[in-house]
Amino acid sequence: MQLSKTFYALAAVAALASPALAADNMQGITATTIKIGNLGPFSGDAAVFNPLNFGPEAYLRYINDKGGIHGRKFETVFADSACNEAKGIAAAKKLIYEDKVFMIMGNPCSGVAMAIKPMLEQEGIPWMGPAANPKLTRPTSPAMFHTTYTGIESGEAMAGFALSNPAIKKIAIVEHSNDWAHGYCNPASDFIKKNGGEVLTRIAMERGSTDGTTQALQVKTLGAQAVLGCLYQPELIILLRDLQKFGVAATVVGALGADFDQTVQQVNSPAAVRDKFFQPYQFKAKIGTPALKEFEDMFVKYLKKDELPKAGPPTNFYYFGVPVGIVTVEGFRRAGPSPSREKWIAAIESIKDFDTGVLADTVTFSKDKHVGVSRMYAVGLDKDGKQTVYTAWGKPLPE
Amino acid sequence: MLAVLPQLIVSGIATGMLYALIALSVTVGYRATTVVNFGHGDLVMAGAYATFVFVGSGLPFAPALILALASLFLFGVLTQRVFMQPIINGPHLSLAMMALAIGYAVRGGARLEWGSEVVILGRPYDQGAFMVGSVVLTMDDLVISGFVVALLLTLAIVFHITPIGRLIQAVFQSQRGAALVGLNVHAFHGMMWGAGAALGAAGGVLLGLLVPLSPDLGVYTLIRGFAAMTLGGFGSPFGAVVGGIVLGMMEKLLGFYVSTVFIDITAYLVTILVLLIRPSGLFGQRATVRI
Repeated sequence: MQLSKTFYALAAVAALASPALAADNMQGITATTIKIGNLGPFSGDAAVFNPLNFGPEAYLRYINDKGGIHGRKFETVFADSACNEAKGIAAAKKLIYEDKVFMIMGNPCSGVAMAIKPMLEQEGIPWMGPAANPKLTRPTSPAMFHTTYTGIESGEAMAGFALSNPAIKKIAIVEHSNDWAHGYCNPASDFIKKNGGEVLTRIAMERGSTDGTTQALQVKTLGAQAVLGCLYQPELIILLRDLQKFGVAATVVGALGADFDQTVQQVNSPAAVRDKFFQPYQFKAKIGTPALKEFEDMFVKYLKKDELPKAGPPTNFYYFGVPVGIVTVEGFRRAGPSPSREKWIAAIESIKDFDTGVLADTVTFSKDKHVGVSRMYAVGLDKDGKQTVYTAWGKPLPE
Repeated sequence: MLAVLPQLIVSGIATGMLYALIALSVTVGYRATTVVNFGHGDLVMAGAYATFVFVGSGLPFAPALILALASLFLFGVLTQRVFMQPIINGPHLSLAMMALAIGYAVRGGARLEWGSEVVILGRPYDQGAFMVGSVVLTMDDLVISGFVVALLLTLAIVFHITPIGRLIQAVFQSQRGAALVGLNVHAFHGMMWGAGAALGAAGGVLLGLLVPLSPDLGVYTLIRGFAAMTLGGFGSPFGAVVGGIVLGMMEKLLGFYVSTVFIDITAYLVTILVLLIRPSGLFGQRATVRI
């Protein structure tokens, strides 16, 4: 009897204490607002990726302009991770414990996303972001969702596109020595081996490289028919330039760490990229075509001058980020007028074949599947230099 | 595998020339002030961006380059006079930290403006490629190597033949002695810090011809410059150039014949080995200085 009293007393204390430990499941929701944390690299050497934060933000502002969701408008709190794990943890803590956001959105840096994952899981804070690390949502984490492609989908799409050319069997991989690059190239390597191809070599090209001579000569010496480049934009540009310099005719398929248009423009040599350089393509149509025009208009209308490119139209990364905002909002729409974390998560898990209007695939989640998309196309310049979206080698997507 | 050896050596020399220029620019400042500028990489980056800005404002490349080098010279002089001179008699560690802090501040400024985008400086010439036997040479290789050789010859004349060279040598050997014979050591320090910044900026511009610009442009190259200085011998302009070229070739050869991982770590390995086996480097003089 005495033991039973002690047990109930401890249970009562635990019950009272637990809400203080975990975030309130209505945290960030008021009668008129939904507070969202937008975590991203707004400074530092990875700030080039912050359009992935501004894409979804544009959509939230668009929804606010339309009156919000169930009478509530979105209120965004930006936090800078600088793509650095320590800074990212501090920024996420501020969002969760000081700003008391409902969820964290954005977060393109995989290292930061992995670093804050335990905190998010402990507090039950939902996460929806474009960080490519598959381990964020595989195995499923209760409140974390990928509505964009992880390294597995992108890596397999890279390898799949290369192998869809019947003449390509021997493939070299050039990659950074980091988690991000391995996140793409490990699945790509597995895919090649499973599908009758041969990985001739996996060679390193590190951040800050000023020259790709060694890598280009290795690719040439080994006789690779294709190169998968799991590289960020500056190094991908150098590799493409040096492959051209040494007359290497191999097809190059780059990962999503580079913006296709900028890469083509900055290589500044049509012969190095025409019918030669490709990337997995996440979108249902070519950027700049009528099918995606509404998104360009949205970015231009709702983003501030310093949130848009200094010159030219919004780039690929804005479009890649926007589904994060679209699906986040869809979750609130489905969660009804009294949203809670549980309702929002259930709403997201109920999404089936949802067309974001921008991605190449429709979005489907379930309780056991928190990566919503898989099908990707490829983008490249054809022989005439015209940007073309391909469903497979030599098969352009009808415009 | 041996068929590519000549190409690796030639490409290594071309890359090494760039390291040599960075090493040379640090050496100029070091010889005058005996302070190693740990923020020098950010001046390299600033030179590239300054040229980018001037070209963007409509200037042709050559005037833009000259204006950028002049701006960085002025910046170097000012930073030495305003930030370094007041603490010049303090511990060398303080000077090193100050130089590092200035570099970080410059990088932060660049990130504010260009942190979200990758930009290209653009070449003022056509990027042609030539075959010399089995070796591919590009205009980049020729421009960079030609520029560095011309600079080296100029500096050799300045250091060894002109009165300025003798002054530099005097200050390097004994600042107090130089002051006693009437040399304005403070002004001299400023001028040489400025010259080092301008040379580093030239290295940044050449680097910007090869790679997209980013605020971290100089960071990766500076470590190569330090390794080249260490290999060639601290304070030796000739050693800096030889060290840069040897380092460039080693990166290419180890990277191809052993593992591409070596491209990134050769500079560190060279620094460790030289400091252990021959701390004065290939051409440096044995000296004891405070750092």
